[in-house]
Amino acid sequence: MFQPIGEAGRAELVERRIAEAIMGGHLRAGDRLPSEADLARTMGVAPTTVREALFALRSRGLVVTRRGRGGGSFVSEDADPRAFARKALTTSSRLTLHDLGIHYSALTVAASRLAARRATPGEIEAIRTRLNRLEAPAPGDDGALAAWRQTMDDLQLELVALSQSARVTREQMRLQAEFSPLLRLLDTEADVREAQRTRFTEILDAVESGDEDAAGRATERMVTEAVAALDALRQRLAAPPADDGAR
Amino acid sequence: MITTSTDSPAAAPAVDVAAAIATAYFDALFPDLEAHALRLADALRETGTDSLTTARIDDLVEEHALRLLDKTEEGVYGAGFIATVDLLTDAASHLSWWQGPERRKLVFPAESVKQGIDYRELDWFRIPMTTGRPHVAGPYVDYLCSDEYTMTAAWPVQVDGVFVGVAGLDVLIDTIERRLTPSLEALGTPLLLVNSVNRVLVSTDVRFSAGDVLRPERVEILERRASERVDLAVVRVA
Repeated sequence: MFQPIGEAGRAELVERRIAEAIMGGHLRAGDRLPSEADLARTMGVAPTTVREALFALRSRGLVVTRRGRGGGSFVSEDADPRAFARKALTTSSRLTLHDLGIHYSALTVAASRLAARRATPGEIEAIRTRLNRLEAPAPGDDGALAAWRQTMDDLQLELVALSQSARVTREQMRLQAEFSPLLRLLDTEADVREAQRTRFTEILDAVESGDEDAAGRATERMVTEAVAALDALRQRLAAPPADDGAR
Repeated sequence: MITTSTDSPAAAPAVDVAAAIATAYFDALFPDLEAHALRLADALRETGTDSLTTARIDDLVEEHALRLLDKTEEGVYGAGFIATVDLLTDAASHLSWWQGPERRKLVFPAESVKQGIDYRELDWFRIPMTTGRPHVAGPYVDYLCSDEYTMTAAWPVQVDGVFVGVAGLDVLIDTIERRLTPSLEALGTPLLLVNSVNRVLVSTDVRFSAGDVLRPERVEILERRASERVDLAVVRVA
């Protein structure tokens, strides 16, 4: 318990953070990472620790480093977040998936209830406007699909922030980073996607009318349905021998 | 009158004195923010806005942001410049922002969902952009920069009449509570400092805390005094 954390453990933490960002699609193929000095400064570790983490990420094939002018560290060109997410889904047990759903639900239900008490109609209206403006992506349009998920995540976070709790919002960001890559796998199915929009609208309605119980119920329903869809997808993916996604 | 809390309560109602206390706090911040915005506009005019990169804008903003963070007396937590979309050649949007006790430059934590957030929709950017006037936003959970419960004051920056972004500063609600509570408590009457949507910043009324919203159907407001120059008010509730 009182053992020193040490720079070695820190390098693993830095590595894990960056790896999660790449696998979650928050850092995309070809994206340039901040410089070693910037990473060290913002993550509060020594530059040598960052260097060590980058070395590990390179050997895992997640990051490439180019030298010279215009050089630096970049996310590997064949880092495909969907492949990572598929792998995460197929290798997780039902228990793990459902437990993630329970955790996510516990947090967002509490946030929705608080928002129902503390949000103003204008704030809900702003979220609703953006939701209504969100166009359904055309089939096969990967960019539009990514933009859809980005906006849905953004609006969900905005709603949670209306709880006025910084702690709950920070926890939501952390959990959403874990959950969102999985949700992205569902986004290709138009009916699942539209069902999510409908459920989210129901939450907004309940929050706007200040009905805490209804807001909580609607949130729980949204998460439960998403987890059920993920579970079904997990079983479908597991059925044929999966030959993709493993890197 | 603003700082003479030794006036007898009979001389001025508690809500008046409290409103003046709130005004005085924010008054101390605005001139610095305006000066910050003007310095940024000057620097940008000198450099030219045709081929700006994120690195160049960060270099340009840093000294001014740190200067604002030196305003420790009012407890400025974060400061910087937020470029309007497509101002920079190498990024669609960018925050040149320094914050926290260690005055760290904001780099989006890689694992976060923040990276794609469109700040054009957020009050502290949208309102100065569309009105050309400064704006104080909050209290709100600032999940983009501080990750804390925050007030943000933003001043539009224009170069030759063209909007290029906003100069901003953050103050944590925690700080405002610490700074204002002693003088508000000294008034001896439970009071609340609220924003324009009746959201509580600071409360000396134990029934309420920061973040609560006073809904007219649930809370009866007995007295209300607007603070001057900033869109806040002090209220006393039944």
